[in-house]
Amino acid sequence: MHGYRGGTGQIPALAGLTGLVLITGVAFYGLIGFSGQVADPATLRDPYFYGILWFSLKQAALSAGLAVLFGYPVARALYYLPGLWFRRAFLALCLLCFVLPTLVLITGLVLLLGHSGRLSPLLGPDWNLYGLQGILLAHVFLNLPFVVRALYLQLLQIPDTAWRLALLLKLPALTRWQLVEWPMVRGRLLVLAGFVFVLCFNSFAVVLALGGGPQATTLELAIYQALKYDFNLPEALTLAWVQFTIAGTLFALLGRLGGGSWLVLEQGGSQVPVPGRWGGLWHGGVYLLCALFLLLPLLVLLPVLAHIPASLRLLPLLQALWNSLLLALACAVPATLLAWLVLWPQRLAQLQGRHRRRQLLEWLSTHALTAPAMVLSVGWYVFALPRLRLEHWGPVLVVLLNLALTLPFAVQQLRPRLLQFDAQYAPLCAGLKLAWQERLTLEWRWLGGSLRAAFALALLLAMGDVAVFALFGDKDWTTLPWLIYRYASTYRMQEAALASLLLLGVCGLLVWVLDRERAHA
Amino acid sequence: MLEVSQVRIAREDWALDYDFQLESGAILTLQGRSGAGKTTLLMLLAGFETPDRGDIRWQGRSLLPLAVAQRPVSMLFQDHNLFEHVSVWRNLGLGMGRQRTAAWEQALRDGAEALGIETLLARMPATLSGGQRQRVALLRTLLRPEPLVLLDEPFAELDPQTHALAGQWVRDTARAAGKTVLLVTHHAQDVALGDRNQVLGD
Repeated sequence: MHGYRGGTGQIPALAGLTGLVLITGVAFYGLIGFSGQVADPATLRDPYFYGILWFSLKQAALSAGLAVLFGYPVARALYYLPGLWFRRAFLALCLLCFVLPTLVLITGLVLLLGHSGRLSPLLGPDWNLYGLQGILLAHVFLNLPFVVRALYLQLLQIPDTAWRLALLLKLPALTRWQLVEWPMVRGRLLVLAGFVFVLCFNSFAVVLALGGGPQATTLELAIYQALKYDFNLPEALTLAWVQFTIAGTLFALLGRLGGGSWLVLEQGGSQVPVPGRWGGLWHGGVYLLCALFLLLPLLVLLPVLAHIPASLRLLPLLQALWNSLLLALACAVPATLLAWLVLWPQRLAQLQGRHRRRQLLEWLSTHALTAPAMVLSVGWYVFALPRLRLEHWGPVLVVLLNLALTLPFAVQQLRPRLLQFDAQYAPLCAGLKLAWQERLTLEWRWLGGSLRAAFALALLLAMGDVAVFALFGDKDWTTLPWLIYRYASTYRMQEAALASLLLLGVCGLLVWVLDRERAHA
Repeated sequence: MLEVSQVRIAREDWALDYDFQLESGAILTLQGRSGAGKTTLLMLLAGFETPDRGDIRWQGRSLLPLAVAQRPVSMLFQDHNLFEHVSVWRNLGLGMGRQRTAAWEQALRDGAEALGIETLLARMPATLSGGQRQRVALLRTLLRPEPLVLLDEPFAELDPQTHALAGQWVRDTARAAGKTVLLVTHHAQDVALGDRNQVLGD
């Protein structure tokens, strides 16, 4: 159909898109070196560079491999045992763990497995949480839930007719797996491993807290150290370019293979074969172990409530929480509105059958995903340093960059629902000659839960930011994740645990809203 | 007068040609086998499809440069005529703007009574049967101010008794308001509703 025309409604949408491109554009302006600072290729000949590059790739590959290896059996358990206890709560926990501010987990891991951790005596005298093993543990904790959800949803795509036929033909379990299950998941496994690899390659807070030193430094951390400790701008720029080239290329490749959906609703799976006694025990055991693995680092924070130190000052905690909420709100409100706005020209292009234009607009609205937070921040840092007083403009830049980084997620939340609206109602809307206010009311009522879910997701992601704040933050006004880092790095674990609990509570509430609104969408 | 002159629409593996005129205030019934181009003709008139050549004129003015929202057309689709997330009453008033007068509201209530849906106005579309939804959409399509009415299989989900009732209501309402109607149907009995019948694809 080609009868749809844009009109003036396109102008704010295209202005929003231009603003978004400007945010990344300015970052690259800074990265390219127009601000007087240029990358130093000599860095690439330094053995130190190869050391951190190798470690970055190694930890990301191992994290991705382990997350997929352990995630697959858990997804199978959820699929084959639909009657599992607390299944819905477990899926919500998976969602919480994936979007959990990293420093909450770090505090939990340190209390559990650190030098005086509750479980450390069981792991022998050689155990050390800091270094590769700690980084892997944290990365698996953060990404395993994503793999579980995505694979579980993939398994739900198996048509009931395939299972019916397999059962009628009395196929043994192994043949059923080869014929029905494996073809459905094998392609997804590779894509998921790739996504987790990129996430871990770009991970900052985990390596900042559990890594460090020549043996356990990644590119992200090295960029931060070059900027904040050595003030070596050319080295930071070189490393940022390497980071962007690798992460951007991988992300573009993965984008072509198709994204991993992990936030859609459950459906299907009514004809799944019931596992035998041993199969049931295996699935139940795997489920229980995974639940323990995810719950322990969070539950270990709870006892701190019983021993709140008398010296604890609540004011900094509440001030940091207030700052976090304020920054996150300032980012999530425009991110949600902008996501809705920038989808407008994409939807029009879809209706007009202009697929290349739609793909280009789609890429433009989510292109910030290809640039790691640290790379964007470094670009802006170099750009802003000679032009702005960072201690004054810091909060604005934190909001701006987080807006660019969370917007793609809000876009992904709203896009399917809006495309569904158009598929069903675009001819009707055009035929009824609706006034724009009427159209807006109808559309926002239709979006309902999706809009609130997009907002909650943007809020969650912005609340957990560490990478952007690390560059533009100020010791006089700190966010809750950064306060946790400061407490943990000075071994004030009681305070760190209490701050983590507070942040966990807020995030848990947001995940509950997100989960509920998605169900109502 | 509606003039469809030498209109051709072609896609990869098919092409359709139309050439006819229809006097203002007349009712044209359209018949033909599936794929003969009945719905495509209505989509061309409404502006959802663009012809490769030819012209479509209404009262001497070409409709082709006009966007869907600018055309003097009210259309009933085969499906998705109601927004599922707002009430029937709200659906009926959509797009009426300032024309939502007391007279229009009275006409709406009279029409609802004639079509047997007067008790459904406060309900949500999801709670209605297929036939009830079709009558709600029919009511809105006929009572809109546009002079050219396009109905794509408007009685497909109605039982024989309601079908006859709705058919008569469409004819009477269109006549009273002087509307020009193109009505796609698979039922031979609907031919009697129109002033002319055209079988496409012959």
